[in-house]
Amino acid sequence: MISSWLQDPTLIAATLAALTPFAAFVLIMVLFRPYRSLAAGISIAAITVSLASALFLLVRHWHIERPIQYAGKWLISGDIFIPFGFLLDPLSLLMLTIVATISFLVQVYSLGYMAGDPGFSRYYAFQSLFAWAMLTLSISPTMLQLYVFWELVGLASYLLIGFWYEKFSASEAGKKAFVMTRLGDIAFFLGLLVVLLNFGNLSILEMNSPAVAERLSSTVITVAALLIFGGVVGKSAQFPLLTWLPDAMEGPTPVSALLHSATMVAAGVYMFSRIFPFFSNSHEAMAIFLAIGTITMFLSSTMAMVTRDIKQVWAYSTISQLGFMVMGLAAGSYFAGVFHLTTHAGFKALLFLCSGVFIHQYETNDMYVIGRQGGRGLKIPMICMTVAAAALSGIWPLSGFFSKEAIMGALAAHHNPLWLGAGLLGAFLTAYYSFRLIFLILRPKAIEEVHHEEHGGHAAGHGAGHHHAGLYWVMAWPLIILAAITVVLGWCQAPLEHFLLGGHGVAGEHGEGHHAWVLFAAVGLALSGIGLAWMEFGRKGSAQVGFVERVPPLRDLFANRWYLDLLYRRFLDYVIYGTFSNLFTRNDRRIIDGGIDGLCRATVESGRLLSFLQSGMLQYNLMAMFAALALVALYYFFS
Amino acid sequence: MNPLQNLVPPENLAQIGFAAVVTVTFMGALIAVLPRNILYNVLGLALSLVGVAGLFLYLGSPFIALMEILIYVGAICISIVFAIMLSRPLHLSLPKRRLPKVGLALGVGLLVFVILGAIIAKTPWRRAPVRSADWSTATLGNYLLTRYDLVFELISLVLLVAILGAIIISGYARRRPS
Amino acid sequence: MNSLTSYLFIGALLFSVGIFGLFQRRTLIGMLIAIELMLNGASVNFMAFNRFLAPDPIIGQIYTLFIMGIAAAETAIALSIILALFRTIRSINIERARELRG
Repeated sequence: MISSWLQDPTLIAATLAALTPFAAFVLIMVLFRPYRSLAAGISIAAITVSLASALFLLVRHWHIERPIQYAGKWLISGDIFIPFGFLLDPLSLLMLTIVATISFLVQVYSLGYMAGDPGFSRYYAFQSLFAWAMLTLSISPTMLQLYVFWELVGLASYLLIGFWYEKFSASEAGKKAFVMTRLGDIAFFLGLLVVLLNFGNLSILEMNSPAVAERLSSTVITVAALLIFGGVVGKSAQFPLLTWLPDAMEGPTPVSALLHSATMVAAGVYMFSRIFPFFSNSHEAMAIFLAIGTITMFLSSTMAMVTRDIKQVWAYSTISQLGFMVMGLAAGSYFAGVFHLTTHAGFKALLFLCSGVFIHQYETNDMYVIGRQGGRGLKIPMICMTVAAAALSGIWPLSGFFSKEAIMGALAAHHNPLWLGAGLLGAFLTAYYSFRLIFLILRPKAIEEVHHEEHGGHAAGHGAGHHHAGLYWVMAWPLIILAAITVVLGWCQAPLEHFLLGGHGVAGEHGEGHHAWVLFAAVGLALSGIGLAWMEFGRKGSAQVGFVERVPPLRDLFANRWYLDLLYRRFLDYVIYGTFSNLFTRNDRRIIDGGIDGLCRATVESGRLLSFLQSGMLQYNLMAMFAALALVALYYFFS
Repeated sequence: MNPLQNLVPPENLAQIGFAAVVTVTFMGALIAVLPRNILYNVLGLALSLVGVAGLFLYLGSPFIALMEILIYVGAICISIVFAIMLSRPLHLSLPKRRLPKVGLALGVGLLVFVILGAIIAKTPWRRAPVRSADWSTATLGNYLLTRYDLVFELISLVLLVAILGAIIISGYARRRPS
Repeated sequence: MNSLTSYLFIGALLFSVGIFGLFQRRTLIGMLIAIELMLNGASVNFMAFNRFLAPDPIIGQIYTLFIMGIAAAETAIALSIILALFRTIRSINIERARELRG
């Protein structure tokens, strides 16, 4: 078996890509925790191997026509077996490359960001764990394997969000993330069970084949699709399970860049596109997905407009863009959603990493404070962040422009104009909140003119210049690379489309041609968003108060996340804890414990009663003996 | 010849004698269990045992009757009297009688008697087909020393051990040094 | 009157009286006396069988002899035990000996 493995370079590359980070994780956790540089070295070496393997596979199989699948029998029981292996087709190769690239860049960046942190080795171990899980998730051949690694990715997320576990809010955030995504995963698993019971297996290729529509009734497909989408709702922070993602910003910024913008939360969208043909079989489900995506996009955009925390803006933006991706996919365009996933990974990671530089420098998350302390003096991060924000808003010629247009095209092709309108509104809001942040940092007001007091964030230590130059450049190079990708990637639309769709023939609508007005409308709205932001924040002498902030009820609504968290808290307290937990506690205490106590008491009491027989008096014993003897004799002689 | 022969036929004499013996036995037994004074009980026991000796006589074994009087009355009852004398329980307060206990004892006693009686009445006692007619004491002695020799020796051993045990338990050896 | 069952009834009655005395007496010596009664009842039983049923009438007598021997041994031991117990519980009432009371 080893020899056959050695002969196939594709298989070697796939195995290396998936498994070297796991080896790194084990090595670091078991052996090398005390040696920080060695740990970081091992982790980065592993991810470099994975990146090299991923690029090798991408290049080698650029013209892949049919998916390559390697599957071995993992758990066997008679005729039933659970396979484990790899599936290499355009989508998985693309995802593999994206994940490997961003992981590599983030791990290099972390050398500078996390320097001096006491949990340095642990951080790199968890990064490797995450890389392993995400990479294997990307090339899973069956939904079950995908689910297993889905959960592993959730675990890595929990570990990394709560990385600074001594901080209560961080550990709470980790817990919240895990529990909320778990809720979605329950639905996911139920959906998988429905498919398994009715269809017989969970192989992705089989689920995407037309055989599904023939063998399963449309009701079953719809139910399964809705349940499986629950996993997407949880993992990709769609409405209503979206409040964990802003709280997940308690983790270190590179973690936010990697997990909660580019890769892990994209796993939901990835899964959607992975079984896109399966979902397409049910039009009702797709319509519901479209609605959920739209609501998510709109809600989170509003939340981003009023927050002061630099990472929170990008967190809400991530949720919003994920909703946008879901909209694109649900509207029927496979390519649009995947393309936006790719470009979003690039510029969102860039945005987070740039924010990380500011946070590392000024030790505060508050954008007003950063601006006031001279944030615009850090040239490379500032420029990269502007580029990325422009890409996010969909400005030509950056990558975001092309991917957003693809999605707008898909929405325009949909028969209901409501979704297109929502998409365009979303574009406007996106541009507004992104450039609000940019202008706040670019043109800060002096201390006396500010209305709001500084609250939140850490105590502002004056960032006296840069930290020593080596660390700064370790953090700066990934920024530059990502910015370059952001600029270039948009022009790769055509070859990517050919790559993704050519070999497969996956049904997708790309009605770009005859909706040119959509293009101009989108760009126009983005520019007007930027203009509004400039008027409110960037202009000299502006009050730096957004139009939303002037309406306090609206501002409070958005700041409190549309009171979703409050709703969940109330639900937990009154329904779950108040009713169910109460009921179960009472049952436990009164009935179960009471029963056992009662049993004990009865035993003791009966013992006490029976002890009267043991009077210790000889003659009573003798009497009992003789009476018994007589009765036995009676029985035997006269029975 | 019996002077009373004309007045009382021999069988009737035997019957009267039997009735007398049984009466003595049971009176002795009742005296042995009912009164509270221990000496009365011992004397009642002796009386009862004399009656039982008479019963043995009627059962055709004068030797055993004699042995009964010799051993039971002469040795055992006397030793009980000795024990009573030596331990002087008469000086101590006599325990009061409790009615529930008496009632329970009566009940169990009656139960046992009734069941035994039922068994006695219901069982078809079969006599052995061939019965020897040799009732002599010489044969008894002969059997004792030949066929049942082992049991005889064992009985002696038991008696020896019992005496030794009695000495040890009563602590005779321990009382010596003080 | 001269039948097996009457002798057996006499033996059974003696035995029962002995049982009654065994349960009812409050001193150990009283119980010992009752036990002697029981033994005699059993002896009467044996002798009755010997007289009416046994193939060889010597056997029953030997039995009875041995019962007497055993009774003598038992009386010796019982009296010494009673003396020892009397020294411990300082009373002749056996209801004082309640160490096994549960």
